[in-house]
Amino acid sequence: MQPISIISLNAYLLVSAVLFALGLIGFLTRRNLIIMFLCTELMFQAAAIAMIAFGAYHMDIQGQVFLIFVLTVAAAEAALALALVVALYRRRNSLDAEVWSEMSG
Amino acid sequence: MTLESMQPMLSELSVLLVPATAHGGGAASHGAAAVSEAIAAGPWFAMFIPLFPLLAAVVCGLFAFTRRYDPKRSKIPGWCCVLGLLLSFVTSVAVISRIGHDTLQVTIFEWIASGSLQADFAFYLDPLTSIMLLVVTGISTLVALYASEYMSGDRGYARFFAFIGMFVFAMTCLILADNLVLLYLGWEGVGLCSYLLIGFYYEKPSAVAAAKKAFIVNRIGDLGFALGIMLTYMEFGTVEFAPLFQALSGHSPESVSGSVQIIPFLLMLGAFGKSAQLPLYVWLPDAMEGPTPVSALIHAATMVTAGVYMIARLAPLFVLSPYALPTVAWIGGLTALFAATIGMAQYDMKRIFAYSTVSQLGYMFMGIGVLSATGAVFHLFTHAFFKALLFLGSGAVMHGFAGQLDIRRISGLRKVKGWGVVTWTMLVGCLALAGFPFLSGFFSKDTILAQAFVTPGYGFTILGFMGLFTALLTAYYTFRLFFRVFLGPQRYEPGDEHHADDDGGHGHEAEHFHPHAPGWAINLVLTILALGAAFSGYVGVFGGEEHGWFGGMMHASTGNAVTESLAASHGADGHAAGEAAGFWADPHKWMMAVSAVIGLVGILIAWYFHLLNRQAADRLKERVRPIAVLLENKWYVDEGYDILIRKPLRMAGYVFYLIGDTIIINGLVALGGAIPRLIGSTIKPMQRGILHGYGLGMAAGLCAVLAIMWWLIQVGVT
Amino acid sequence: MLLALLLIPLVTAIAVAAAPEKQARALALCGTLVGLLLSIVIAVQFNYQDAGLMQMPMSIAWYDTFGLNLSLGIDSISLVLILLTTFLLPLTILGSFTAVTQRAKEFFAWLCILEAAMLGVFAARDLIVFYVCFEFTLIPMYFLIAVYGSANRAKASIWFFLYTFTGSIITLAGLVYVAWAYQMSPEGTGNWTFDIATLTAFCSEHMTAAQQGWVLLALCCGFAVKVPLFPVHTWLPLAHTEAPTAGSVVLAAVLLKLGTYGLFRFAVPMCPLAITTYAPLLAVLCIIGILYGALICWVQTDVKKLIAYSSVSHLGFCVLGLIALTSIGISGSVAYMINHGLSTGALFLCIGMIYERYHTRAMDDYSGLAKVMPVWATFTVFFILSSVGLPGLNGFIGEFLCLVGTFISGDGANPGTLGPMYAAIAGFGMILAAIYLLYLAGRVLFGPLKLPDTHHHGHDDKGDDHAAPTLPQDLTGREVLVLVPIAVACIVLGVKPGVLLAPIAAPIEQMVSAVSEAHTRHAALLIDGAPPGLPPAEDDEAALASAEPMSRDIDTTDNRPSELGRKEGLGQ
Repeated sequence: MQPISIISLNAYLLVSAVLFALGLIGFLTRRNLIIMFLCTELMFQAAAIAMIAFGAYHMDIQGQVFLIFVLTVAAAEAALALALVVALYRRRNSLDAEVWSEMSG
Repeated sequence: MTLESMQPMLSELSVLLVPATAHGGGAASHGAAAVSEAIAAGPWFAMFIPLFPLLAAVVCGLFAFTRRYDPKRSKIPGWCCVLGLLLSFVTSVAVISRIGHDTLQVTIFEWIASGSLQADFAFYLDPLTSIMLLVVTGISTLVALYASEYMSGDRGYARFFAFIGMFVFAMTCLILADNLVLLYLGWEGVGLCSYLLIGFYYEKPSAVAAAKKAFIVNRIGDLGFALGIMLTYMEFGTVEFAPLFQALSGHSPESVSGSVQIIPFLLMLGAFGKSAQLPLYVWLPDAMEGPTPVSALIHAATMVTAGVYMIARLAPLFVLSPYALPTVAWIGGLTALFAATIGMAQYDMKRIFAYSTVSQLGYMFMGIGVLSATGAVFHLFTHAFFKALLFLGSGAVMHGFAGQLDIRRISGLRKVKGWGVVTWTMLVGCLALAGFPFLSGFFSKDTILAQAFVTPGYGFTILGFMGLFTALLTAYYTFRLFFRVFLGPQRYEPGDEHHADDDGGHGHEAEHFHPHAPGWAINLVLTILALGAAFSGYVGVFGGEEHGWFGGMMHASTGNAVTESLAASHGADGHAAGEAAGFWADPHKWMMAVSAVIGLVGILIAWYFHLLNRQAADRLKERVRPIAVLLENKWYVDEGYDILIRKPLRMAGYVFYLIGDTIIINGLVALGGAIPRLIGSTIKPMQRGILHGYGLGMAAGLCAVLAIMWWLIQVGVT
Repeated sequence: MLLALLLIPLVTAIAVAAAPEKQARALALCGTLVGLLLSIVIAVQFNYQDAGLMQMPMSIAWYDTFGLNLSLGIDSISLVLILLTTFLLPLTILGSFTAVTQRAKEFFAWLCILEAAMLGVFAARDLIVFYVCFEFTLIPMYFLIAVYGSANRAKASIWFFLYTFTGSIITLAGLVYVAWAYQMSPEGTGNWTFDIATLTAFCSEHMTAAQQGWVLLALCCGFAVKVPLFPVHTWLPLAHTEAPTAGSVVLAAVLLKLGTYGLFRFAVPMCPLAITTYAPLLAVLCIIGILYGALICWVQTDVKKLIAYSSVSHLGFCVLGLIALTSIGISGSVAYMINHGLSTGALFLCIGMIYERYHTRAMDDYSGLAKVMPVWATFTVFFILSSVGLPGLNGFIGEFLCLVGTFISGDGANPGTLGPMYAAIAGFGMILAAIYLLYLAGRVLFGPLKLPDTHHHGHDDKGDDHAAPTLPQDLTGREVLVLVPIAVACIVLGVKPGVLLAPIAAPIEQMVSAVSEAHTRHAALLIDGAPPGLPPAEDDEAALASAEPMSRDIDTTDNRPSELGRKEGLGQ
């Protein structure tokens, strides 16, 4: 395996940053629970890309290890989150995040 | 014995301090090991002296818990107890015959051993122990016999005898103890039994209160006693008598530190509590709430004399302070007078005798204080007989007249059928108490009073005159009671209580009331005690050169040797002076004459006011009304204690609880809890529950972190 | 063996939780009885010749980087406390057979878990194990109070938890500080360890008096709350009052001893220099606690609260004896732990039995019970007397030895900084104890009989709706069976205290000599150039006088306190 150059690293990181920004903006602007959840997944993957890029750059296997880890967790989490969303939808018949605001202090 | 021969220097006290058997060796330079060799091993069967009563207590206790046992039908527990005490008495006699004039030691088992503190369950047997053993086991056997009839039919019959057995166990531990801690065990043990027995009729609130009072007042004294034990241990490194006396030998008040001189004052506090002296006497009159046999046994004959015994036993410690014994003497003298004045104005038979007991105990302390431990223990010995007799006699009256004890409501018992034995034995007891010539109280009281005049000390002569005046009062109040209750016109009202639950035979109405004459057990016991009250004084007259057999015993006992020689070193040996200068120079001889006269005068006054012309007494009372009220209300001492001590302490408790704990401490704790709560409520509005708000917050946080990192990189921190 | 001892209650707890409701209590009883048997076996196998050494050691590596080990071991002090725990738990469970009717399964499971945690505290040889167990006792106790308590249980459980937890956090900080200081020191060479013996030796030998002062303060924060000492005692009455009987018993008998045990195991051996300096201060707190608690007892109208406050008063004696630092005082203190556990635990059991019949804790509702419940009354009077400290029963030994130890403390022949005045003032507690306990007896046992108020039902309504007031039944055979072993233990310890005092003597002697050695060493360090081996020219007083101005050492040594001193010493 060859280490990637600093230039290609920058490209990877740029993709990662763009993905993250998209996810963040999506999370903050949309009100549909499923879309918000997808946006968080987007941020996740952005972080994962950055990680594997750095791993390749430093020739460190841990980057890939973490990627796999994150993917696994994300898969489990997706199942859990979607189940929650379904449960929430059943309660209120709506996917609007604004509907759930009982946690106000 | 000449004056010169009885004048050892103080430093030579050591010879006398070494227990009697070591005398033969004649060397004062024994090491600790030598002493333990010098004290021969006593008879092993001494362990049965406390064991038999304990067994009896256990058996009776089992009866008390047996549901099938019916106290109305069977007297088995009573007989078990009498048997146990009798066996204990027999064992005591056997042990006493072994002791003779020696000092012996028996170790039963190891008790407390921690660091250098060693306190075994071991006995120290010397002639003083012998005398106490005779009194305790003898009187308690008689009282138990009496009680087996007196208590019959009571619901708590078995419980009563269990407590009595426990008491005798504790009391014998007390007098047999070989160390201060075991002494303290017995000391507290008798206090406990006293508590349980005073509160025997636990459904009566007054009995419960009296029991509590007795225990607590005793505890105050016990604290002093316990601290005294600790100080002794700190100073001498031991609490066992033999090594302690050894360590004390060769010391005089000049050669010991100040803290050693405090020890006797702490110890005497314990003695004052247990023996009901000023200022701790208040519990004893109230203790009469207990059944009468208890009053006779515990609160007249045995337990209350424990203080006298303790000071006599530890006399070597007491002589190490020049002020300790004079203090004891003065407290004793003042108590004697004070209690006698109260006794004059009471109407309850048992209370009169209770104050009389306080007063007589005062005599005993006075005796020890004026360096006549012989006189004190002698008086203890005779007092045990006649006071037990008087209490048991009044108990018989109470038993027969349904709890009637008021001397105004009962009169002329002599003529009631079946009360002859009671009347005559009571007469003997009263005469003995009043100091009528040639009865027991006469000899013992004179020994003390005479010594007060011969020992030079801090106003001991005044004390002697006070003692004489008290003797006059004693004779008066004793015969006031006797003339009122037993002589005069026959008239009686029953009391309002029955000591048996459903003793239907007595009836409530006065018209149908038939007094219930005492049975054989009561009469037998009264007779034996009357014989004792009449003749027990002669052991202090015959059978030895000075104070008879009794003097010989006391002379051989460990502690007394010290006081005797101290008295002698003051040049205060009455007999020696008497032999030199005839009758009037010997106080022991003229005192007999003086006190006989005084006793007779007291009896005559009582005869006039309470038999011949009872109205005169009432008129006299009207004339000195304030004094009479003051005396009837016992100088308002109880009320004073209540206001000065009890109420403030309880108030402090309330203040601590309601203000200290509830307001201050819990307030502070609540304040500690309020601070985070306050912070929380300040930032609470930030949590609006809107998901996007949180998201925005997170994004802002992220930005902030990035900004800080960027700034850190800029300033060059890696 | 020790691991098995810890596991048995845990396994029992799981079994109880899994068992059907009806078998739960019997199962819990059997489990704790097995624990008792095992602890007896341990006591038999214990080598009393070397009672001062940690015996039956076992260690399982847990997380090496931080030197964490699951290591257990007992000396004779731990042994007696373990025996106390395993002895009382079956009786407590037997005593609560009928008291708890709802959610009984969880109740007994929590009790078993609690036992495991308490045993863990006494058997721990590793700080973290100790601390985890120490804190873990809070959880079962919290549930016992919060779920099974009486009316005010919510507040009581929260107070109990937060109060003691706050204190213990500071203790943890102190303990971690010691471990950190060790790791930083030349002795530790960068290795973490939480071994109690190592850290104790390090702390007592290589820390300055000032550092020890801080450690002592931190330790006291947690342990004093647990004991509880005077100003931080207010959680106790609340918790005791609201807890169910079994909770009160365990709380009084064993949980409070965790505090005194902590002081015994850590505070004194770790900070020998500081403890002598601060002993008078602590003693004043103890004495205030003794008198203050006693006076408060006297004005209580709630039976359980009275006994709770009596614990405040009694444990003042216990700590007083401990900080007297004389071997007699410390023996007394350990004896007091055991004796207080027995007599106060038994008193709570007695009160619980009567609570089951009357469903009230107010003293005014009771009167004259001696008439209808003579057996109960006899036991209660017995335990009251044991608590009052009547010679011949167990309470006396502890109290007397504590006071004697305090009395002779610092008299020249003995170490320590207390003295006769402390003992004399504390002695008034003896009088007050008699006052309030007899007040209790007088109110509840004696006097005219009062019957249970039938209109009032407790929270565990068993559907018993009596039409007319019925006489309360005297104790059942089961209840007698609960009390008899404790009474026997009280008598045995009172008549033959040697069975307790002899085994515990060795570790106590070791501790006392370790404390005086620390002072000797310290005094030698203070005298410039004097090698530590030589007998010091000054005695304890010199060390004491100089305990305060130790800031010089701190400045020069910078967290490696005695390195300088040590080198000086070695250089000679």
